Amino acid sequence: MKAIMKYLLVMALTLACCAAWSFDFEEEFKKVLKDGVQKKIEEKSDAATSSALLGLVGISQEEEITIGRQIAGNLLGASALVKDQSLQVYVNNVGRWVANQSERPDLPWHFGVMESSDVNAFAAPGGYIFLTRGLYSLLQNEAELAGVLGHEIGHVIRKHHLKILQQSSLVDVGGKLISKRIGGNDKVQKLIGNGAEIVARSLDKNAEFEADRIAVVLAARAGYDAFALPEVLQQIGHFSKDDGSVALLFKTHPHPDDRLEKLGLAMNARLEDVKGKTLETRFYRIKP
Amino acid sequence: MSSIRLGIVLVSLMAMPAFAAETGRVIRSDEIKVEPFRDAKTTAMLSIGDKVEIVKKNGGWLQINSPKGKGWVHMLNVRKGEMRKDAGELGGLLSMASGRAGTGKVVATTGIRGLDEVELQAAKYNEAELSLVESYTKNRAEAQVFATQGKLVARKFDYLPSPDVSPK
Repeated sequence: MKAIMKYLLVMALTLACCAAWSFDFEEEFKKVLKDGVQKKIEEKSDAATSSALLGLVGISQEEEITIGRQIAGNLLGASALVKDQSLQVYVNNVGRWVANQSERPDLPWHFGVMESSDVNAFAAPGGYIFLTRGLYSLLQNEAELAGVLGHEIGHVIRKHHLKILQQSSLVDVGGKLISKRIGGNDKVQKLIGNGAEIVARSLDKNAEFEADRIAVVLAARAGYDAFALPEVLQQIGHFSKDDGSVALLFKTHPHPDDRLEKLGLAMNARLEDVKGKTLETRFYRIKP
Repeated sequence: MSSIRLGIVLVSLMAMPAFAAETGRVIRSDEIKVEPFRDAKTTAMLSIGDKVEIVKKNGGWLQINSPKGKGWVHMLNVRKGEMRKDAGELGGLLSMASGRAGTGKVVATTGIRGLDEVELQAAKYNEAELSLVESYTKNRAEAQVFATQGKLVARKFDYLPSPDVSPK
């Protein structure tokens, strides 16, 4: 009886130790990886060096586009394009003009308005950018569209989603997948997870604030009113958190009020006297 | 007679939005300027929490009326509409209770699907739609033509540094 008790006690202690050790180790391991990647992102946040960072893990522009194309194809599987050719051409003109002002004007940029009542916009690597009909319907002029697209262009040029992919695949498969040349769609699909879930993931909130700052500067460079994106953010900020049409947007982004707060600190005194066009009359009104 | 009354009601209903001036609250103290420029003359000072009536927007500036004076203030120092009720830790609960703060702009939801995480995860690759979006692509030169048509001229600006100051 005593021997059995002792045996059980030893077993219990061993198990407890094992569990504690594996728990700590796993957490620690993840933390180290995460911190490492995060640090790299922070250190290399300017455009010139971000390509060098990606160079280290071997993603060429061609591979970036292949990954983005797969994500975009999946996203369009969730919701199709609004069947309005003039609208899509218009959005491509505005988006491309804004992207021309970035340090990656040579990417084959693609823009589209998707059929969804949600208020949201998505970016995939390589220059695939989408916004929903719900978001487009809130816009009042071309400068606001330029600001919204500029935010997504910001994610693409700073490779925010690619960094997430690298981070997660590092954790999942020790980085082997990413360092291999990416072949067909199956492999790319393995890399990006299920469907278009990558676009439903939250980026670091500093990546969102950075994309906002890029957006207003690209809009200003393109000749637009830089303060049009803040106008859109004010509108979105008026939605209630439990309004389903902004649920995913609010879940994956800092609250618009916080984004406006940060933009205010960054923009006031730097862009305050910069005027630009809003082009309200040219703005393509979406058919209801 | 009753149709005249109905007419008056209808006309006043239609005219209402024009009279309902948009209001806002000051979130950072700011000077009221006589013109929408940094170097314009300052006429008064607004404090955090001051209520203002918004007349119009001009770039980064809002023309406002307030008990402290009329003029122009930085757009990003004023929050339109009611202040956010869900700030802080009680956020979720309060926003549940308060419901939609409301711009009055409701996006039609009938018959059009949302795009939630479940749908995005389950999404199947659609080559036809992808080819369609790629068919609309504009190149650099085409976008330049489009810009010129809108009298948009490219300008040089540096990217903005991250504000290190915490908002709180």
